[in-house]
Amino acid sequence: MDVLRNNRIWAPLYDAVGCKTYKLPGRDLPAKGQFQFHEEEYMKADEYDVLINDPVEFMLERYIPRVLGATAEKGSARANMAFLKGGMAQMMMSDIMRNRSIYLQNKLGMPQPMTGAFLAPFDVISDAMRGLRGILLDIYRQPDKVLAACDVVVNEIANFALSTADPLKRYPIFVPTHKACFLSPKQFDKFYWPSFKKVLEILIDAGYTVRAYLEGDWGPHWHHFLELPKGKVLCDIDNQGDIFKAKAEIGHHQCLTGGIPNSMLILGSPGEIRERVKLLCETVAKDGGFIINGGCNIPYDTKPENYRAMIDAIIEYGTYDKSIKHVPKTAEPGVKRVRQRMVTPWEGKLQELGGVMGDEDLIRRPWEMLEGMGYNWLWQWVM
Amino acid sequence: MSNFTELTQAFINLDEEKVYGLVQKKIAAGEDPVGIIKECNEGMTEIGKLFEQNEYFLSELIMSGEIFKSIMAKLEPMLGDVQQENEPSKGTVVIGTVKEDIHDIGKDIVVSMLRGTGYEVVDLGVDVPADKFVAAAKETGAKLVGLSCLLNFTFPELKKVVDELDAAGLRDTVKVAIGGAPCNEEVRKFAGADYYAKDAAAAVSICKEIYQ
Repeated sequence: MDVLRNNRIWAPLYDAVGCKTYKLPGRDLPAKGQFQFHEEEYMKADEYDVLINDPVEFMLERYIPRVLGATAEKGSARANMAFLKGGMAQMMMSDIMRNRSIYLQNKLGMPQPMTGAFLAPFDVISDAMRGLRGILLDIYRQPDKVLAACDVVVNEIANFALSTADPLKRYPIFVPTHKACFLSPKQFDKFYWPSFKKVLEILIDAGYTVRAYLEGDWGPHWHHFLELPKGKVLCDIDNQGDIFKAKAEIGHHQCLTGGIPNSMLILGSPGEIRERVKLLCETVAKDGGFIINGGCNIPYDTKPENYRAMIDAIIEYGTYDKSIKHVPKTAEPGVKRVRQRMVTPWEGKLQELGGVMGDEDLIRRPWEMLEGMGYNWLWQWVM
Repeated sequence: MSNFTELTQAFINLDEEKVYGLVQKKIAAGEDPVGIIKECNEGMTEIGKLFEQNEYFLSELIMSGEIFKSIMAKLEPMLGDVQQENEPSKGTVVIGTVKEDIHDIGKDIVVSMLRGTGYEVVDLGVDVPADKFVAAAKETGAKLVGLSCLLNFTFPELKKVVDELDAAGLRDTVKVAIGGAPCNEEVRKFAGADYYAKDAAAAVSICKEIYQ
């Protein structure tokens, strides 16, 4: 089963820092629903230069205090504790998710569909910073600033992605794409794709594959995935997208997933599901490169009998070779070619210390590791 | 290409500065605000057509809504009660995102398209319980209730609104349209709604059909 969202949030971390971007079930929403993203303008229209010229200042002095309510009053006891608790809770969350992943794979035979995540630079700026309204005004009023900001975000978000990815590179890194479906092809080509492509290339060069959730109808845009190396991106085709068209246009070059409308899983019958799976196996699955799934995920309120019917039909119509055992592939080594930004680089620390007496690398490496972890922690709050 | 006025054409081109400049000039010249709005309405209608023809995308719809809102903010104080007599609205629509769903982008696009093309819209906001839709439909006498839904677990909520309108005896006079990413014909049938609007332009066509 494709468990897309249930490794996303461990609420105690969100409470510890007072994260404002999510409404959580049981806290702000009825207990049995899903979490929902809450968009606000956390970056002002005239703050592009700060982000472009000094991402550290932008994140620590402007963005984070606005998004994480408990850190709003800089230097206060409450804010200091929030950062401390936030770091601790992050380690706990990572541990929980890691154990969950191992359990699902080893005990239940369900390898994870992805590990780690990031956003396209344009989404970084438009989701939690400027908001949809803000970014659309900006692309008309100050297009050059938007482009420069997207470029600055490339390395930051690539490092964030690599810091959350599977070190063994078995699973793709997830990227949900949010604002592309609002853009015309011309706007997409100018504002969305160039910086997104740069991030994708960095991750692919580092030996990873990427799973891209193409939200909405990406029909006008998905041909761009042909520009990337073959077989490196798994594209989630949403309910509004046409899976058959996707197969014809990019299915020979990248892997596809989707094909069963969410409304059919929720409202349809096992018979309909069976027919749909058969159709998909005979068409989209031809020559491989396809994973049957709902449009992006399996809805929480799927009828159990429909889910059963889907699995049964997949086994019946979709088995290529019964002798194949499913084991995650070993990844290529890859080259990491982006430098990790740090708030206090080792060179500065070394100067403070006035040199070290022993093996410098022994002290430098953990210093840089923690600096990187801390800095990347800041960027998760754009997600 | 066509005989649009300078203001309407600038509006269609989403040329913000030019639009605001022209509106300012017209106000200074003492032109009737109702006429100015009409020119913008025409622009909005054309933008809806461009959207249907895949010339414009959602970003252009949103941008046109923003420009229209700014113009209305300027003109509304000048309208007073005159508007009602001179240029009655084409009809009233009640709209909102259903209970337990806080998405507003799609709903807001539809609201601004409808307002922009001359309809009176009662926007109930997000996370709206069924009884509020019923009360608003009763109060306003709207012939159309629009339900926005972006989360598939709220399908039952769509049905609830339809059922409660029925229970309140309004179902003969009030039509229900649904819209939002997870909606389609299958969801419409399940909810018992009259229309499924696949996008904002479809929503405008539905209003036209009802209030022709």
